[in-house]
Amino acid sequence: MAKKKDMVLPKDPRYLKYPIDEPFDPRWTAWNCSRCSCCKWIDSWRVKSWKYARICPQHKRFMFDAFSAQGKCDLALAVIDGKMKWTDDPKIKDILFQCTMCGGCDAMDKGIRDAEVLKMMKWMREQYINEVGVLPDHQPLVDSVRNYDNVWIQPRTRRNSWAKGMEIRDPNKEKAEVLLFVGCTYGLSEELKATIKNVATILKKGKVNFGILGSKELCCGSPVEKIGVVSEFERLAKSNIECFNKLGVKTVVMPCAGCFGTIGQEYDERISVKKNFEVLHITELFERLIDDGKLKLKKEVPLKLTWHDPCHQGRLGRPYVPGKELEGVYEPPRNILKAIPGVELYEMERIKEYSWCCGGGGGVFTAFKDFAQWTALERLEEAKDTGAQAIATSCPWCESNLGNAIKGMEEKIGIHSLTDVMMSAL
Amino acid sequence: MDKERHAIILEALQSAIGKENVEDSLSVMMAYHRDWLPPGVLNPTLPEFVTLPDGTEQTQQVIKICNRYNVPFIPLGSSQWSVTTAPNRPGTLIIDSKRMNDIVEIDEKNMYAVIEPYVTMAQVHAEANKRGLYLGSPEASAQASAMAGHVFQGMWGVGHRLGVGHRNILAMEWVLPNGEILQTGSWSNSEKTRFFGEGPGTDLRGMLRGLAGALGGIGMVTKMAIKLHPYPGPKEFPCEGMIPNHTSTLPPERFQWYIIKYPTLEKAAHAMYEISTAEIAGVLQKWPTVYYNWWWANSNEEYWKTWKEGVWQKHVKYAVAVCLWGFTSEKQLDYEKGVLEDIIEETKGKLIPQEIYDKWVPRTANNWIRDTNGSRMMRPSGTFAALRLPFDTINSSIDVCRVGADWVEKFSPPILDCDAPDWISSYDFGHFGAAETDFPLEKNVEDLGDIMQKLMGMLKEDLSHGIEGGFGPFLGGAYHAMAGSIFYNYGKLLGGIKKAMDPNVISNPPQNYPVERED
Repeated sequence: MAKKKDMVLPKDPRYLKYPIDEPFDPRWTAWNCSRCSCCKWIDSWRVKSWKYARICPQHKRFMFDAFSAQGKCDLALAVIDGKMKWTDDPKIKDILFQCTMCGGCDAMDKGIRDAEVLKMMKWMREQYINEVGVLPDHQPLVDSVRNYDNVWIQPRTRRNSWAKGMEIRDPNKEKAEVLLFVGCTYGLSEELKATIKNVATILKKGKVNFGILGSKELCCGSPVEKIGVVSEFERLAKSNIECFNKLGVKTVVMPCAGCFGTIGQEYDERISVKKNFEVLHITELFERLIDDGKLKLKKEVPLKLTWHDPCHQGRLGRPYVPGKELEGVYEPPRNILKAIPGVELYEMERIKEYSWCCGGGGGVFTAFKDFAQWTALERLEEAKDTGAQAIATSCPWCESNLGNAIKGMEEKIGIHSLTDVMMSAL
Repeated sequence: MDKERHAIILEALQSAIGKENVEDSLSVMMAYHRDWLPPGVLNPTLPEFVTLPDGTEQTQQVIKICNRYNVPFIPLGSSQWSVTTAPNRPGTLIIDSKRMNDIVEIDEKNMYAVIEPYVTMAQVHAEANKRGLYLGSPEASAQASAMAGHVFQGMWGVGHRLGVGHRNILAMEWVLPNGEILQTGSWSNSEKTRFFGEGPGTDLRGMLRGLAGALGGIGMVTKMAIKLHPYPGPKEFPCEGMIPNHTSTLPPERFQWYIIKYPTLEKAAHAMYEISTAEIAGVLQKWPTVYYNWWWANSNEEYWKTWKEGVWQKHVKYAVAVCLWGFTSEKQLDYEKGVLEDIIEETKGKLIPQEIYDKWVPRTANNWIRDTNGSRMMRPSGTFAALRLPFDTINSSIDVCRVGADWVEKFSPPILDCDAPDWISSYDFGHFGAAETDFPLEKNVEDLGDIMQKLMGMLKEDLSHGIEGGFGPFLGGAYHAMAGSIFYNYGKLLGGIKKAMDPNVISNPPQNYPVERED
């Protein structure tokens, strides 16, 4: 009788199960790129039109394949295998850094294979920085974080200025259940001051026991992590986790999607210190308060809105589990908007895990303003095509970059922070 | 290429199409040097330049520069998987079509679209669906170039109705290797009419069509009119859930999937004939068992877990997948259901268990209408390979598949575990069939190199016996040079066309046939 043949399985165990818990291997990710081009387009089932079929702003803008995750896989493999060095070509700077690190390519790639191309791209930036140095346009940001623990070259004491007169507790002095982590941009921007005040006001109305660190708050580290200065990121991350743990807060909530994605995900990936607190985006907490009856959205706000999913709140907002849905904080903001009387919500074609980036992330806002604006204009065009009067979002980087682009438009569209719209309804 | 020559050509290109549309930097070239196989298997080389012309006239200018300076060029569509679009010799120029990304026109009444090379299948689908129309889609993913999907292979999930891709080509605008612009079909007579593919003389589409087409060996098509077909589906492709676990269910009153199991490949093929003769269904396929898992699994772990458990081997080996479409009405769907159920009974087929149907169909089946997951074929082992791609009758596919299955068994390992690796498709209601033996392979240079050698050995052995049914045509010129003299000297025809159309031998040599420059 013929012996039944054993099943012939891959020799490399990483094909049998993606090694999510092992140290990341960038070469593995690059090696397994098959030039399928999924990183350039939104998932084909989701394509609703010719116009809005792309996922990668960098590839759409610059068009050469090098400006895509696929091209970066080729570059990574070439450098790792010794075929070229980071210093061989000045164009490498543009390929690596004229990218918003929005994770669109990463999300679409996860649709067809177990891989983490965004991690590979972060590794590339880190390697480039170590060998070549920080980009000159990014150096002021790095210096600001080193010297002032914020990205805006502002004195630490200014972090408190928005909260003047609001009597918000200091959790170092008075126990708080919730820490409102304000973030550098909401905390220090004059333009966005009203929004963060509204956040605090709404939390008060919802009778949330919360505090802020004020001038003692450190940057979450997102901007330096995105541009490859990992040492600074690790310093900030460790300090923040230790601080939040020491405060004994149950929840850390943040109105900035960048902070949310960083403290929620990046900290777990890079830092071994355990977090003893829950991480929420402000829209998640607001939704809970509405569902619990603690906030009542009664006033009519007649607005036709479309919702922009910030990358770090959406596809980069939850941990990656191979085979599981790319969850993110998609529904809470939508539920809030739908609950506001008078608001009509229109959806853009590219939403949730296949949302088009605002253009403000990855250091692009600082170093490549034209590209940041170009990306934003595409998003605003998409928003206008829904018939909405305004675009709403919940990230200060999105608000700033989209807001700047709107200023240059002939036929403008409005922009609102979700918090501000909610405030109008309370 | 020496620096002085490089500089002269670079300046000429930049003057012709703009400085920002020409690249020669090392890091950019690196993104164009590889095909889908790992470096070290086919050893492609770096290009010298990559250009982005914006249309026919700029493409013509680039090609004329290539002629002047004797620079081989390769036209690129989406470059997905890139079988023969990676440079094979130094000093090559890439004509990248990314700025030619327009759907120029959709004529709803006459049911055609005019597209440029960097428009994807998904984009055309989306616009066509809005207008009650559709087209085919390669299972290798709908983010591939729609134009390329019409000239290369064109094995579509819906080929049962629409035929292979190249049957749907109408008029074209085409830049020849010598830089002349050719318009074919009704386009040659008028800018306004592009819906008619034939001309008054010989049908020039024949030069581009074939199992694998001309592979860029006869210039570059910059605009193409393609047939669209009436579609009973919704204006938006239905999709629920989130990556990687989304599902799609088309309206049940117009679309109905059946997965019917048979005990042997012969019985499955017979059922396909019966269904074809009855002229029902929009999709009719017999997939390799691995296809069910390749497209379905959302992770490597899920793939190998269900494979090791034998889920797919037990339930879908030799299964025939049918999607009935109520093209004209719900009544048509009801009618076709009745016909199919009779055929299932007569051919003693058995529907797969409901549990497996519910597990697989919503998550996967509609990939064969608008594909999005073809690249999942790479997931569980990094790559796959194919053996023998005959285009002949459905029945002739059986013998080819049987030999293929034996070959796969013989060379496993390194070929990984798979079961009934036979893919048989129906085209034009069974007027012909195509087959492919597909199998997973671990992506390492050793295993791939080993299998590539064995595949080449098999190809040469086939030729020595006068058999043509392999993947050879997909290699293009190198294969035709070997096979031409064996099969009625077709190589002479290809060589003659090549010499006439490409006297300087610069259009993706050695495609579509290796010839020498006359001087």
